[in-house]
Amino acid sequence: MLLSLMIFVPLIGMIVVLLLPRESEEMIKRVALVFTLVPLIIAVYLFIDYDRTIAGKQFRHGPVPWIEAFNIQYFVGIDGLSVTLMLLTALLGPICVLASWRNIDKGIKAYMALFLLLETGMLGFFAALDLFLFFVFFELTLLPMYFLIGVWGGPRREYAAIKFFLYTLFGSVLMLVALIAVYLKSGDPGARTFEIPELIRLASDPGHALADSTFQMWVFIGFFIGFAVKVPIFPFHTWLPDAHVEAPTAISVILAGVLLKMGTYGLVRINMDMFPEGMAVFANGDGIVGNSLAILGFVNIVYGSFCALAQTDFKKLVAYSSIGHMGFVILGLAAGNELGITGAILQMFNHGVISAMLFLLVGVLYDRAHHREINGFGGLGSRMPVYTGITTLAFMASLGLPGLSGFIGEAFSLIGAFESFPMLTILSTIGIVVGAAYFLWTLQRVFLGTLNPKYEELPEINGREILTLVPLGILVIVLGIWPHFAIEMFSESVVNLTTKMSGILQAGL
Amino acid sequence: MVVPLISIILLAPLVAFAIFALSGIAKRTFPRQDLLSTAAMLIALICSFILLRDVVPEPEPLAVDWISIGEITISMGFYLDSVTVIMLIVVTLVSSLVHIFSIGYMHGDPRYPRFFAYLSLFSFSMLFLVVSDNLLGIYIGWELVGLCSYLLIGFWFEKNSAANACKKAFLTTRVGDIGMFIGMMMLFTKFKTFSLFDGAQDGIFTRAAAELATGDIVWLSIAGILIFCGAIGKSAQVPLHTWLPDAMEGPTPVSALIHAATMVAAGVYLTARMFPILTFPSSLVIAYVGGITAIVAATIAIVRFDIKRVLAYSTVSQLGYMMLAIGAGSYVAGLFHLTTHAFFKALLFLGSGSVIHAFHAMHSHSQHTHGHDEAHADDEAHEHDDLSLVHENLVHEHGSEIPPDQDMRNMGGLRQKMPITFITMLIATLSISGVPFIFSGFWSKDKILAGVLGRAMEWNSIHHYILFGLALCAAFITAFYMFRLIFMTFFGEPRNKEMHNMAHESPWVMAAPLIILAVLSFPVVNTIWFNKDYVIPPKQPHLHAPQHASVSPDTKTGDAKFGFSFFGVSEAQAADEVGGKNGEKADAAYYIYKRAHNIAMALSIFVAGLGILLSWLFYHRRRFSAESVATTFRPVYNLFWHKYYFDEFYDGVLVALTVWKSRLFARFDLSVIDGIVNGVGFATRRVFAAIIGYFDRRVVDGIVNRVAEVTWAAGGRIRRIQTGAIQTYLFVVIGGIVLIILIFRAL
Repeated sequence: MLLSLMIFVPLIGMIVVLLLPRESEEMIKRVALVFTLVPLIIAVYLFIDYDRTIAGKQFRHGPVPWIEAFNIQYFVGIDGLSVTLMLLTALLGPICVLASWRNIDKGIKAYMALFLLLETGMLGFFAALDLFLFFVFFELTLLPMYFLIGVWGGPRREYAAIKFFLYTLFGSVLMLVALIAVYLKSGDPGARTFEIPELIRLASDPGHALADSTFQMWVFIGFFIGFAVKVPIFPFHTWLPDAHVEAPTAISVILAGVLLKMGTYGLVRINMDMFPEGMAVFANGDGIVGNSLAILGFVNIVYGSFCALAQTDFKKLVAYSSIGHMGFVILGLAAGNELGITGAILQMFNHGVISAMLFLLVGVLYDRAHHREINGFGGLGSRMPVYTGITTLAFMASLGLPGLSGFIGEAFSLIGAFESFPMLTILSTIGIVVGAAYFLWTLQRVFLGTLNPKYEELPEINGREILTLVPLGILVIVLGIWPHFAIEMFSESVVNLTTKMSGILQAGL
Repeated sequence: MVVPLISIILLAPLVAFAIFALSGIAKRTFPRQDLLSTAAMLIALICSFILLRDVVPEPEPLAVDWISIGEITISMGFYLDSVTVIMLIVVTLVSSLVHIFSIGYMHGDPRYPRFFAYLSLFSFSMLFLVVSDNLLGIYIGWELVGLCSYLLIGFWFEKNSAANACKKAFLTTRVGDIGMFIGMMMLFTKFKTFSLFDGAQDGIFTRAAAELATGDIVWLSIAGILIFCGAIGKSAQVPLHTWLPDAMEGPTPVSALIHAATMVAAGVYLTARMFPILTFPSSLVIAYVGGITAIVAATIAIVRFDIKRVLAYSTVSQLGYMMLAIGAGSYVAGLFHLTTHAFFKALLFLGSGSVIHAFHAMHSHSQHTHGHDEAHADDEAHEHDDLSLVHENLVHEHGSEIPPDQDMRNMGGLRQKMPITFITMLIATLSISGVPFIFSGFWSKDKILAGVLGRAMEWNSIHHYILFGLALCAAFITAFYMFRLIFMTFFGEPRNKEMHNMAHESPWVMAAPLIILAVLSFPVVNTIWFNKDYVIPPKQPHLHAPQHASVSPDTKTGDAKFGFSFFGVSEAQAADEVGGKNGEKADAAYYIYKRAHNIAMALSIFVAGLGILLSWLFYHRRRFSAESVATTFRPVYNLFWHKYYFDEFYDGVLVALTVWKSRLFARFDLSVIDGIVNGVGFATRRVFAAIIGYFDRRVVDGIVNRVAEVTWAAGGRIRRIQTGAIQTYLFVVIGGIVLIILIFRAL
């Protein structure tokens, strides 16, 4: 129940916001803040109360029949991976509301309503235990996002929103086909099911139709493309820079912080857990096909990093850096061993936190200077020391400085991947150097050197903005020093996955 | 006692930094950050001295489980053997003195508190690196000191040169760090642990020894060389040395602490820590890199005019020396030189800081009067000085960007003006030049030379003879350029009258650290390295040498016990050890090392004397003219002046290529991938529109109509929905779900 409450509290918030008069803007913002704080409190409670010693789903609610004709159920429950990402989502909720406090100049009511709807979609997605419900929540995030970018975005918002929409729709269609195929294969008419735990069990039952490795390979591809668009994996990534550049700050934060993780979460939850045979085809290290997943990770890392190096728009640079960083997740998942998957999951969470910081920071600067041209600044370090300090922290975390959270995920992904794909991993480390290069170069062009006379009066970061950044900064430092408190949440699930993967890989040999 | 002490040592500076950072978030500044940081460092220093008592040569690591996933457990912990503690003392001692010096040197700087906070963060990171018992911990400390180095080089970030230098330092060292990281991955994949020493489970060293018992050394050699790549970056070895001279853009106390005494020596420390897994090929690579670095940097130092750059290249060269020692198997000699170098080089930098402070407007109390003098002085300096005139003619295209207060061509005759600075710097110079017997540098350098020559004679290895030659040459050049610095700065007539008149001795807060460091440049305090019960070199069980010699030179050469035997080996002790262990063969080795030591010592005294003599003739007596020599050997001079063209190569080729590649990728992204996407999108829209139009006409059902409208909106008609009608938004959501169900039903 608690879980369902958490998922639907923002939806209630949306209704409350809709009932408020359009003029009472302060009231709307406060209501939205309260209704995003409630899920955060619940998430913290779930995080603490979660039993770390078992791998199964906890805090289940359901199954409650929903569309009985197709045996579709309302069924939610979480494991360590879900609860970690839900905590991230719930944390970013109030932060985004705060970040939207001053710079949304029109239709704050609709904005907040859509935002709350979006949060329900995201939370539901991470908790869904019914494949159809999972898909519904997945789609549910699409529409609010579309409007949030398309209505409140920058000058090219329409283009960006449509691009985002169509790209994702394209992936969704393939996913839908795969989903239906799984349903139809799950049993005789009448006994078919969408229940994820049941499907996972069936898919690993050697005699069952779902366990057939050719079938798994094809549905793997279907789901994979659906999720790959979200991650985004090269070459399905070009919606991301446009969407980020046009989206308002808070929406960029959600986009990078949570929406991208929906892709990688899906890869773990569905592709790896349900179709390990299909996964093995693309990650057994045998030839091009057997290396393809790792190659995609490598391409993301190197391609994303080099593209980021060439950007002069601050926000676009951060967007491309996201592409690079998500590559580490793919690489770690492809490794299929404990360290690789742990690294990948950590990287998901850490990238969520760090990229959220980065977009918030870009937003702070944009709100003051009204542009994001990296070369148009210079010397801000002497004018805005606190802002510079926090930016340096975020940059260092993002470029993988040990002691901060970004390092652990990146390093574990790489170390895990090295065991399975040594050459690709060594090549991927180029991304680390390039990553350092673009962040330091940006740091230099924006903050170092003599102060650009245009910005002699630029005001320092204010209290509200610091408030949005501090919780994230604390997470960056704490997770960098003591990552175990996150790792222990999902280590049992990881062991579960790796046992499954290694069993299949060994059988293949 | 060990755990609380080490906790205090680490936490004291960290807390000092945390106070700064937290008050920064609250947009405030802690009022006496300088005293806070200095006190923290002094506490750490005292605790380090107390630790000295408790430490045994081969302790158990103190580790806790850091991460455990399934069967993988990664622990973090401390390893405190005698070498660790000596390093702790060196770091805390130099750091404390630099803190005190900075109180005077940085006085009046607008970011004065921040400077001390950074120093504290650095000290914490460095100490963490030193005490870590595992590669991951070392790597964490390693990168953190890199960050602090970045922040401190760029401390005066308004200067573009400083902003460039800090970026360069970070990126160059990161290239090396990637190698180190790959090496770590190799070791972890093989041994499933990052711990070096045996604790709850066997560490890397034990596992590597077992692995090597099978006779396969290729794999471990590669891993060893890759780990050494990290040291190449951090310790500024060729070819990644170019960042260190540029790092002189940082305030001079930073140069003393980070870029001379501690952080750059971390690479040597790391290499020494990895000693037990260094195979013959990787050792040889290390020795050669070190030897070449020693020569390359020393030759560049000869032609520099910026006092700090001379010292920077000197540091690079001396670090090469230490690497050479460790590569040649002289573990103790390498670390011994690390400690002696830390003191006299820190002294040289602080001394140069004292000179700069005496000249500089920015930090002096007479700020206003200095301002216009500086520009003035710049012109005049070159008029009066024949040396610089010729120099200008030679290399005018590289027109000096040397700040006037660091330019040795503006100095001269300062010894009466700044007696304390002069005498202390002279002591350090005598030490680094290897003037025999009463200076610490002589002993450590002698130990290195003897070790390398002994290795050469024992194995009859041509490589080690070459390495010995490189080391000897470097020793000669070192003596030469260091006395060039002393003569140009402190002797002769003042070349720049105005600046000379302004110069003054530094206040006591700055002079006192100089004096303490000068005392430390005498060997008395370094005798710990001669105590063989205290520092025991680890074994290299798998060092496969050409002749499969099994003796380590350190046990033979490392015994010139100060006070007992100047010229030879403390015989009884050496014979004891060697004879007891290896019988006749070792006995032979013992005499080889004894002979090697005598030869090496004689030669080192000779080259040091020759270097100083030549320097005196060139720069004090002016018997020979440096300019005419430079003109005669112009290609060679140019090579040195242009620093072997490393920077030109990196900037012109590597950096340019990377930037070009990134632009190429970005353009590819925009035109090709996005082009395809937009093309497909355009085509789809056409098709979609046609289908929907058809649908629209055929199906009059309201729901489908609405759905089609929504899809139309996706085709570009957002504005219609943008009116703010919430019902529409809601409807879209519900419509989407209905659409899915409809599709579903159709199937």
